[in-house]
Amino acid sequence: MKRLNSRVIIAAALVILAGALLILNASGFLQPVQDLGMRPVTAIQSWFAVRYSALRDLLASPRDVAALREEINRLEADNARLEQEIISLREQAAEAAVLSALLNYARSQPENRYLAVNVIGRDISPFIRSVLIGQGSDAGVATGMPVVTARGLVGRVVEVFASYARVELITDPSTAVNVRFQTARTEGILTAALNGDLIVDLIDLNAELTQNELVLTSGLGGKYPANIPVGQIVSIRRRDFDLFQTATIQPTVDFDNLDIVLIITNFQAFRLDTSQP
Amino acid sequence: MAYLIGIPLLTFLAIVQSTFLGAFRFLDGRPDLLLLAVVGWGLAGGKTETLVWGLWAGFLIDLLSGLPFGTSAIALVFIGYLVTVFEGRVWEANLLMPLGITLIASLAFHTWNVMVIILMGRPFELSFALSRVILPSIFLNLILALPAVQLLTNIRGRLYPAEIDI
Repeated sequence: MKRLNSRVIIAAALVILAGALLILNASGFLQPVQDLGMRPVTAIQSWFAVRYSALRDLLASPRDVAALREEINRLEADNARLEQEIISLREQAAEAAVLSALLNYARSQPENRYLAVNVIGRDISPFIRSVLIGQGSDAGVATGMPVVTARGLVGRVVEVFASYARVELITDPSTAVNVRFQTARTEGILTAALNGDLIVDLIDLNAELTQNELVLTSGLGGKYPANIPVGQIVSIRRRDFDLFQTATIQPTVDFDNLDIVLIITNFQAFRLDTSQP
Repeated sequence: MAYLIGIPLLTFLAIVQSTFLGAFRFLDGRPDLLLLAVVGWGLAGGKTETLVWGLWAGFLIDLLSGLPFGTSAIALVFIGYLVTVFEGRVWEANLLMPLGITLIASLAFHTWNVMVIILMGRPFELSFALSRVILPSIFLNLILALPAVQLLTNIRGRLYPAEIDI
């Protein structure tokens, strides 16, 4: 009985300790301790992540060879097509510059600064879709910074420690991204379903959407820079009695194989509510 | 001695779960290695140690996830306390008892996580969570439960050999 009572007391004390730490963390007092404590863990995790990535690539390489050859052929054809497109776009750019000058309209071209970081792990909780990256406030990472890859938008930094940070993916159900359809030139709000599917809602019913149309960030809301690829339309739902139409999109980024991401470090996110990152 | 073993072991399991098991999924569920370690050590006979293991494991889960810091620690300390009620008697009682205890512990742990997710104001759908996350995770935990308990019982047996009266 005595042993049982002492265990009850110990269990109660530990629960109270955990609760106190929860309150301290919510108040922000635990940050220095967490930063110090997680440094060795992050270093070990980065070590494991690199080796796991190499092992995974080694095991997948035989299957990838044929796919890679096919990809090379396809890319060479795309390259030729894109070179022609560049010539055409340069002509249009020159025309646009003249029109801009005529209208007295100064267009700023922000040059983004990028920080390349390794993805060292994924969120342990199965209800949250986020990844851990191997750089934190020591490297200049701050909350609210957009995260991208060469293929498109990945998400946003939501939590930062000294040596690592957490990036909330756009496939997380709590994320919302203002997007624009490249051809239809209409806006919508991108959200994620609980299974990770990306859905664009609040699309004007009169907008003419097409299959495989590219979806870009619109820059509205100030959370993400404009014109970052997000995905392509897979299906469209449009009913006359609805107020808006919705579209399901396929993301351009492969979230299951994120190894290295780029953080846009010089983007100033617009904050309406200072309590949110 | 159990703490010297437990802290690095739990840290290693947290890293493995975040790094390797992050890509491994059965539907959307994953095995909860830290929960299995706490339950296994509790069934192996660690009493007070299990509570401290639960606290440390909970801290690691919260640091490597988007859950508020301290919430998983509360859950795992509570689960560790309940498990230690059966301490040392598990194999004598029934070979399937570790499975039953793991089932109850997994249900309790995921129920707590669901409550935290709802309190955080995140979108949540019970049918999806049950069918795609909770039940697959429990299934994976049950597969690993017996090997985990056996392994931790062996470790504890080596650390604290049974006294023999001569």
